[in-house]
Amino acid sequence: MTALEILSRGPGGTRGGRHPLWRGAGAAGLVLLILAAAALMPEPWLDVNAQAVGRAPGPAHALGTDSLGRDVAARTLAALAMSVKIGLLAATASTAIALILGLAAALGRVADHVVGVLTELVLGLPHFVLLIMVAFATGAGATGVIFAVALTHWPRLARVLRHEAQTVAASDYVATSRALGRSRPWIARHHLAPHLLPQVVAGFVLIFPHAILHEAGLSFIGLGIEPHLPSIGVMLSDSLREIVAGHWWVAAAPGAGLVIVALSFERFGEVLRAATAPPEGTP
Amino acid sequence: MSKLTPALLVAVALFAAPAGARPLVLAVGGEPESGFDPVTGWGSYGNPLFQSTLLRRDADLALEGDLATDWTLSEDGTLWTITLRDDARFSDGTPLTPEDVVFTYNTARDAGGLVDLTGFDAARVSGPHEVELKLAEPRISFTSRLATLGIVPADGYGPGYAREPIGSGPFRMVEWREGAQLVVEPNPYWHGGDVPFERVSFVFGSEQAGLSLARTGAADLVAVPASQADTPPDGMETLHVETVDNRGLMFPMVPDTGATTEGGAPIGNDVTADRAIRVAVNRALDREALVTLALNGHGRPATGPADGLPWDNPEGALPGNDPEAARETLDAAGWSDTNGDGTREKDGRDAAFAIVYPAGDGTRQALALGAAQQLREIGIAATPTGRSWDEIRAMMHSEVVVLGWGAHDPSEVYNIHHGDYAGIGYFNPGFYDNPTVNAHLEAAERAPDFEASLAEWQAAEWDGETGFGARGDAAWAWMVNLEHAYWVSECLDTGARQIHPHGHGFPITHDLPDWRWTCAE
Repeated sequence: MTALEILSRGPGGTRGGRHPLWRGAGAAGLVLLILAAAALMPEPWLDVNAQAVGRAPGPAHALGTDSLGRDVAARTLAALAMSVKIGLLAATASTAIALILGLAAALGRVADHVVGVLTELVLGLPHFVLLIMVAFATGAGATGVIFAVALTHWPRLARVLRHEAQTVAASDYVATSRALGRSRPWIARHHLAPHLLPQVVAGFVLIFPHAILHEAGLSFIGLGIEPHLPSIGVMLSDSLREIVAGHWWVAAAPGAGLVIVALSFERFGEVLRAATAPPEGTP
Repeated sequence: MSKLTPALLVAVALFAAPAGARPLVLAVGGEPESGFDPVTGWGSYGNPLFQSTLLRRDADLALEGDLATDWTLSEDGTLWTITLRDDARFSDGTPLTPEDVVFTYNTARDAGGLVDLTGFDAARVSGPHEVELKLAEPRISFTSRLATLGIVPADGYGPGYAREPIGSGPFRMVEWREGAQLVVEPNPYWHGGDVPFERVSFVFGSEQAGLSLARTGAADLVAVPASQADTPPDGMETLHVETVDNRGLMFPMVPDTGATTEGGAPIGNDVTADRAIRVAVNRALDREALVTLALNGHGRPATGPADGLPWDNPEGALPGNDPEAARETLDAAGWSDTNGDGTREKDGRDAAFAIVYPAGDGTRQALALGAAQQLREIGIAATPTGRSWDEIRAMMHSEVVVLGWGAHDPSEVYNIHHGDYAGIGYFNPGFYDNPTVNAHLEAAERAPDFEASLAEWQAAEWDGETGFGARGDAAWAWMVNLEHAYWVSECLDTGARQIHPHGHGFPITHDLPDWRWTCAE
């Protein structure tokens, strides 16, 4: 993600003056556009064609064709839609799990202990092994991938949220609030939430590209998205062979698509973080 | 990169070798997991290198003597009498005796099925240069075993044999570094004449490592994937070898009655249990287009399990690429698209099934995609489905799977079509069981000699009324026969070649002792 962050910030390290809302709208619009276009695309556009194998980009196929004569542009669009759906679903589920566990840890000593042990346990296993196990246990294919990425990406975020929640709960101003007679929900809303929300947003953004990558990895070993279905991971791993034969366009389109979507998500996340960060210093 | 390192070390070592009779370097895979012991299965394909066999197959797959000078089968088909040549010696100089042959066959029988010796009873010495092999029942496909089981020495055979094989074959071992390379040199005692290579090295490792060796000029013959075959490096040319390494759609043949295997895998598929569906698939498939799509044109259409082999019966095939005939077949059987969704129905059931392919196999994936697309034209909704082999084993009795076979042995035809083999391993996963076909297969095994068995093998595929071929029960829809691609040094003459079996790589070594250098040093 560091490279993405640098890319999105630009060389100056500071962000230019456009209104945050525009960027958010741009990212959301891109995602909606991908989903809508993929849904409206006629199915035969994804067909194999023995007469058009390995064509370079040209008038008939704007982004070329792959080793089975499938149109790379159409396939990339369908793949992006698939990746975005899985990424969104997995990131949402993982973030929710992390938030629940992070807040639970703030409830008491025992709960904190349980969450801590659970988090360390899951972090202790190699992530990919865990992914394989969950994907296999929940039945391979798209369902398996969604479960696997959704159920394995929460521990890092949960640990951060747990730490953050504990720090806030132990702070002087929370003690002061409590002494002044503020209720627990009031403290949660006015003190806890403003500190956790930026972390949640950052976590969501960080999980999204990871989810797409892990979906690709699972698909690569035959446990994820079936290799004939369009998905960015499958297309990129297929393209390894094709690049040797000089067919650069097979990798270029899905690669560029992935970068654009991931980048717009990162920017979207930045905007949200900026908008929800607690005010610093005295007003 | 780590996989390339050993290969590069080998390359450096080879370049550093002193000039002289040029050694031969091959990267064709084939390293046996359990060593070079014929009793545990070494040598069934390609050249057994260290051992020799009683018989061997020539370029036309006809049998000729190797260790045997004469071989006869008794009238009742249960007793082979084999006369051995008297000049065969093991690579340590000791003569090969009938006792060694008897020891090999009896040991292989007792080794627990690592070599398929079904029906073999016992071997005994019957003369100074003669052995008798007794079968429990007539079994003509045992002939293939005579051509594949290498003879081991009774005295030198022991637990360490697989690592340090002694045999009467064309080569003896110099060095074997597991996973890296095998070096052999000619066996001076070999009865077959001189081998024109001072040394032969087999480099093992990844496909990529083999390609790199070829590009640096360090290897003389390399197995290459079809996708890269057309761009050989300087000094090498591409060799496409015809094979019976075939791929087809295996159909579950029985309706789904809720039955399962002992392991709990469901058996049967209500759609493919209808012969009309299977015949329509056979008629509709445009196999030429599948060859172009999945094999880059390097293959040929397949219509049976053993295309071009002596026991194949082309009469059993139906012409493909005829969607009109396929539609007629489906119409006549009552499959029609009444609700206009593009898929035919019959009795409320859609003409739909999955085409399962192993997710890691690009060729089978392309075949599944191509076939599914062609079947859509005739109103059959086939869904390509990629799974791991573990999952496929649990699905293959109830779903259509892209499977492949191909051997120089008609017993394979028996194994994949006889009712007794239903659900045994990968044999006959569709639970096909036709008494007439079974009878033909059994009659073939009972034939008095191999020539006489051919007619029965062919009748099993199509006897004018029924058979496992597309005109009969259409138990499979065969699609393509692969071509195996190699890069061969322009200085190497590999002579006449057999049609190759299932397995890309090592089978090309079958006639290795006959290869020649054609360039002057």
